[in-house]
Amino acid sequence: MSQLVVKIDRSEMRTDQYEIDLKTGRTVLEAVEAIYNHHDPSLAYRYSCRTGLCTTCMMLINGKPGLSCMKMAEPGEDGVLHLAPLPKGRTIKDLIKEV
Amino acid sequence: MDEITTDILVIGSGAAGLAASVYAAESSQQILVIDKGAIGRSGSTVGAVQIASLGSWSHREDSLDAYQQDIRESGRGLSSPVLTDVLVQDISARLEDLLQWGLKLDKNEHNDILVAATSGHTTPRSISSKKGKTGLAILQVLTKRAKNSSNIKRWSDVITLELVKANGRVAGAVVLDLKENKSYLIRCKTVILATGGIGQLYPTTSNPAQSTGDGFALSLTAGAALVDMEQIQFYPVSLIHPSSLSGLCLSFYHSAKLYNRNGERFMDKYEPETMENTTRDKLAIAIASEVEEGLGTPGGGVWVDATGNIEEVKRQFHHEYQLCLDRGVDLARKQAEAGPAAHFIMGGIWIDGDAASTTPGLYAAGESAGGLHGGNRLGNNALSECIVFGARAGKAAARESARMKSIMAGVPLQTKKADKMINVISNSEQGTERSYACKKAVQALMGEYVGVVRSTKGLLQAKAEIKVIEEKLDQVKITSSLDFYSKEILDYIEAVLMVTTAQAIVEAALTRKESRGAHHNKNFPEQLTEAKHTIVKVENGKMTVQEEGEV
Repeated sequence: MSQLVVKIDRSEMRTDQYEIDLKTGRTVLEAVEAIYNHHDPSLAYRYSCRTGLCTTCMMLINGKPGLSCMKMAEPGEDGVLHLAPLPKGRTIKDLIKEV
Repeated sequence: MDEITTDILVIGSGAAGLAASVYAAESSQQILVIDKGAIGRSGSTVGAVQIASLGSWSHREDSLDAYQQDIRESGRGLSSPVLTDVLVQDISARLEDLLQWGLKLDKNEHNDILVAATSGHTTPRSISSKKGKTGLAILQVLTKRAKNSSNIKRWSDVITLELVKANGRVAGAVVLDLKENKSYLIRCKTVILATGGIGQLYPTTSNPAQSTGDGFALSLTAGAALVDMEQIQFYPVSLIHPSSLSGLCLSFYHSAKLYNRNGERFMDKYEPETMENTTRDKLAIAIASEVEEGLGTPGGGVWVDATGNIEEVKRQFHHEYQLCLDRGVDLARKQAEAGPAAHFIMGGIWIDGDAASTTPGLYAAGESAGGLHGGNRLGNNALSECIVFGARAGKAAARESARMKSIMAGVPLQTKKADKMINVISNSEQGTERSYACKKAVQALMGEYVGVVRSTKGLLQAKAEIKVIEEKLDQVKITSSLDFYSKEILDYIEAVLMVTTAQAIVEAALTRKESRGAHHNKNFPEQLTEAKHTIVKVENGKMTVQEEGEV
């Protein structure tokens, strides 16, 4: 178990920071789930297959587009895992884009 | 409540829902297809690897009769002859349609269509597309066709709260647009349910997040009958570690070797002739029995060894192989820990050959429907079912809708459950219970008491615990703003529907006093001579179960 700092760009120009306990080898999606389950129930995110096929969990991970179910939860250069919705299209809430 | 009208409402947009929409759209009826997630990307279809079929690629010895015989043999007396007949009659033409619409089949090194063998099919008849991403390939073809149909409207992020009736038939639905938490009454002539399976009622599953069995609860409330709900397939060999891939199907199990904690190749005891290459029900029960006897691995499963067939694994199941490797599970070098995961429900909404339920105006297709596979689904028959019965449902609903003069505008539609759910959400500030925790509680008790090996005492315990969760859900607390998308609200609605579906599964399991197919009750280990169906209904607000003979 190690501490991970996660910063999420959310709706209404809000950025929230969470310090979570996460075992090593966990995915970004597992980090987001841990935040929803134990820290902030208002966080909105989307996923389905968990195996890299449906692509509905795509988001900006440390500035780059990626599937949250496939990328490992690792901090970026500044020591923080930074998550944000994809820039293109309408954001429904937090990390959820309109499809 | 704002109202929307359409001729045909399709709920769910996997292969069955999209096939239903596309075939219904060949008429002049207006179709609205909705999904609680992203249209075309939120069901079990996405992960389907192969499709069993008949066509120009069929082996010489294959035939309609041979295919039907395999399904019936595997169904342990519970496969409906009407439905198996429809499947084998229609499959070839439905595949031809998909090929015409742009589906490309995988080929072998001689440029022939690749046809693979699968446990329980006496002849190889499984074909694939996009190197084993067959479900995804079919969805892309159907989605493109739906987009090009002027009479199909698509609506993502909309969950159904209740099917509503008028004059004894289903005449619409109350839905919630999750994007803005706004409810709508949809008035229509017919409804097609294609909401998929129940994997998310269990702690370990191969299914996507959306597989919470919504259609079973919705159809029960609308008065439809469910058949053989106790028949749940556990994919026998699915990954246990890492947690992010827990439940991932290891499709190569038929040619791999399984060992218990003592290093014994235990299938020798259960199925000495076929060993691991047996049907999923038998293999799952064998693995669960080893674990029950204390012969399981530390993670509660068995060891799977694919080192002897690794070239086949890499070639045929490349996505699985690569996914495992990326997460540190090197199947070429080491054994992996694997065990059963909730995978597919053979039971479901009782349909006829045209996918009509027992409630007028309501159709069901794909995993929502029951009775085709009986007590055990053969591998790769799920996609076949979706495209054949999706098409049947779409065509039949279009014919029925065309015969009806008009949508029942102005007819008062009675809602019960939807009003209550909307009310609980509105008053959730004072609540105490997390909806996510209620879902987890359902999963925990289903895993504990309604898994591969069941007992009457355990099933009764499950029944009591489900009741407690049902009561807790009235006290749900939603902390996020009710004006925006809220995962807590989605979890709440899913949890409410999960409770009803779990009750139906447990009631059916308690009624079947034998072990048949995927239902294994250690207090009734024998299979009775006569095969009977369990039929669950809700009458006057009360759930009832009956046993019936041949469907």
